[in-house]
Amino acid sequence: MFKPYKTEPFYDEMLKSNGGPRKHYTNFHQILQQFSEEELKEKHETAQLSFLRQGITFTVYNENISTERTMPFDFIPVIIPPRDWKKIEKGMIQRTEALNLFLEDIYHEQNILRDGIIPRELIEENPYYYHQQMQGINIPLKNHIFLAGIDLIRDEQGEYHVLEDNLRNPSGMAYVFQNRFVMRQVYPEFFENHSIHTLEHQMPYMHDAVLSHIPPNSESANSPTAVLLTPGMYNSAYYDHVFLAQQMGIELVEGRDLLVKDKLVYMKTIHGLKRVEIIYRRIDDDYLDPVSFRKDSTLGVPGLLEAYQEGNVAILNGIGNGVADDKAIYAFVPDIIRYYLKEDPIISNVKTYQLREPDQREWVLEHLQELVVKNVGASGGYDMLVGPHASEEQIELFRKKIIEEPHQYIAQPTIKLSRAPSFQNARFYPCHVDLRVFVIRGSETHVLPGGLSRVALKEGSLVVNSSQGGGGKDTWVLKGNGSDPSC
Amino acid sequence: MLSRVANSLYWMSRNIERTESNARVLRNQLIQILEASAEETLAQHDWDMVLEICTSFEELENIKENNKLEERYIINYLACSKENQNSFMNCIHIARENAKISRDHLPDDLWGIWNDFYLSVEGLRKGSLSKRDIHDYLNRIKLATLTAQGAIESSMSRGIAYRFIKIGKWLERAEKTARILNVVCNHSNEDGEEVHRNNYYNWRAALQALNGYEAYLKSHPPTMDPKLILSFLITDESFPRSIRYCINHVRESISEIEGGKISHYSKEIFAALDELGEEFNEMKIKELNLDELSDFLDYFQNRCNDIGKIFSETYYLIEPMESKE
Repeated sequence: MFKPYKTEPFYDEMLKSNGGPRKHYTNFHQILQQFSEEELKEKHETAQLSFLRQGITFTVYNENISTERTMPFDFIPVIIPPRDWKKIEKGMIQRTEALNLFLEDIYHEQNILRDGIIPRELIEENPYYYHQQMQGINIPLKNHIFLAGIDLIRDEQGEYHVLEDNLRNPSGMAYVFQNRFVMRQVYPEFFENHSIHTLEHQMPYMHDAVLSHIPPNSESANSPTAVLLTPGMYNSAYYDHVFLAQQMGIELVEGRDLLVKDKLVYMKTIHGLKRVEIIYRRIDDDYLDPVSFRKDSTLGVPGLLEAYQEGNVAILNGIGNGVADDKAIYAFVPDIIRYYLKEDPIISNVKTYQLREPDQREWVLEHLQELVVKNVGASGGYDMLVGPHASEEQIELFRKKIIEEPHQYIAQPTIKLSRAPSFQNARFYPCHVDLRVFVIRGSETHVLPGGLSRVALKEGSLVVNSSQGGGGKDTWVLKGNGSDPSC
Repeated sequence: MLSRVANSLYWMSRNIERTESNARVLRNQLIQILEASAEETLAQHDWDMVLEICTSFEELENIKENNKLEERYIINYLACSKENQNSFMNCIHIARENAKISRDHLPDDLWGIWNDFYLSVEGLRKGSLSKRDIHDYLNRIKLATLTAQGAIESSMSRGIAYRFIKIGKWLERAEKTARILNVVCNHSNEDGEEVHRNNYYNWRAALQALNGYEAYLKSHPPTMDPKLILSFLITDESFPRSIRYCINHVRESISEIEGGKISHYSKEIFAALDELGEEFNEMKIKELNLDELSDFLDYFQNRCNDIGKIFSETYYLIEPMESKE
């Protein structure tokens, strides 16, 4: 049976500090009380097995041996009331719009650098800045960001903040759909008396958005051939690729299925070569084309970049987006929003210290045990220091790293990430959560209702990444006009 | 359709079929040997045949040389050996890998059935089975392969993906039938003294290995006349493992893929199929003696293999995918 726990000092998604459920969780809470732990345990096992059977797994490599693992699923959903969602939606549209204008500017006039809003060296020294490959290239719809995954967290007051922008190859969308699928299959009782935004109608938006990126030299602007380019079945996000290709009805291709001839891209079919005009790629920039990027890449397609520069093919997301989503630029996103849109950010950033700045560095080095330090180029929770949980040695190690390469690191206050109850190993306990919101941009911009709620299932842990013991939860956006109070 | 995807569907299907037919051969053998003592040379020869059918003559020689020709070793070799490319475990694994890279073209149910089956045969992966285990696995293989076929038939559109799956199945069957007949024919010649008894036994085993015993009895007397059996397994138009049935269906499917037209790139495969078809139109199996039959079957088996190769070339398919663990 579910029992309330002490919520402080964190914001709890479900419970108020007096232990009662928030208004938008009242229904759910009531249904939850009707289940015995035995029943829930049984359902939990059914749910995990369902992921395994469907092969919804990611591959973990350990000493060259690959194992298929499922992402643990937790059935207690994150429920978002309409008013909160409206704000998130607006905030995400605003943020991705500004970031896209930024990318277009960086690869063309660079006004933002000329006006001194962003230090020039931050761009020019960025390893993901593909000046040579991208400068002056006109791309369809001037859209660099076809799909963004923006990670949000909530502070102790329940206020949303952006933790990270993912503008290269954000993954996890398939899990949003599968979490809902399994939730409906295994826990149908919980949907009673809830009115939720369905995910059923989302794929057409994504499909339309892909097809709206018609390259300048298209031969078939009415029905361009689009493909999803995957590194293959050994990639950890392979299921994501399969799912999206299948749902959009586009061909799932590997690099070896494509070839470039006379600066046109073709795929190799049983009936010979077929022209490809739009590529939703899930291969990183570096590996895309061994002629223009890493020579040792066997995943890519030789000559692809040239076809792209020529306007013969669209590549989504754009090449060189890494210059806008690394952790050093992150700190400037509020300025980017103000600069291009003349608006204040709707969803704010987490306070970020730039370690390049001597004053800030000085202060950070004195307060390492209170802060989170991140490598600006890393993701997935790697090369990261969580001060309050770190040992003396770890702190000293990061002190050294910061002094050696200050531009490589940023620091943030330890955010008291919100928590939601979870049910694992036959018991309830609160776990920290975040939310990855997916923004789909084509001729129009669309925000997938909800997104992927990631949960750090290790008690007390703040790391939600699936590679490090994180799990997923279904995310419900309640229907309504947005005028109801949120709790 | 991408050639790589067509290739995966084709090899998925061939490996599902191979799992099924090799398992049937072993099941029949395990039933047969119940009545014979291990010392009986007859039983020894049976295992030769089983290994030749399910692996190859070279591998059989290899096993003999290394002095491993004992029942328990053979069963494990056929079921779960990593070295044996055609062990059940390897076939199940290769079929799954291929299904995984083409799963956006497969019904979810089919992927689910095969993945579930793969996950459930953990014991096969670990190796070293008891006799009871092996009976259990053989049963599960039978059910899983039949269920997979059911999912294909009941839910797939009769489009290109479906055709490649079916072509894979029929080519695998045609090759297997030719191989089984060839092996049985060779052994029947060798057996000398006990010709009559062995022949009866071997030819019935051939029918059983091809799941044709029941169908054969419906239209033929239960005396195991090699010539009647051969003509049944080679030329019968309605038995789904006869070579003619398989080749006719391969031709029909390719014709569907090509929209009924023969183009410059598909000329060769059509010609090869037609040539093979004529071969057994003209043939009067009943007039050949066993030696001639053996040559004929050799030639025939090679032609079946060639057709598989020409088919792969026609659609830019690649050679069997290496199993990766």
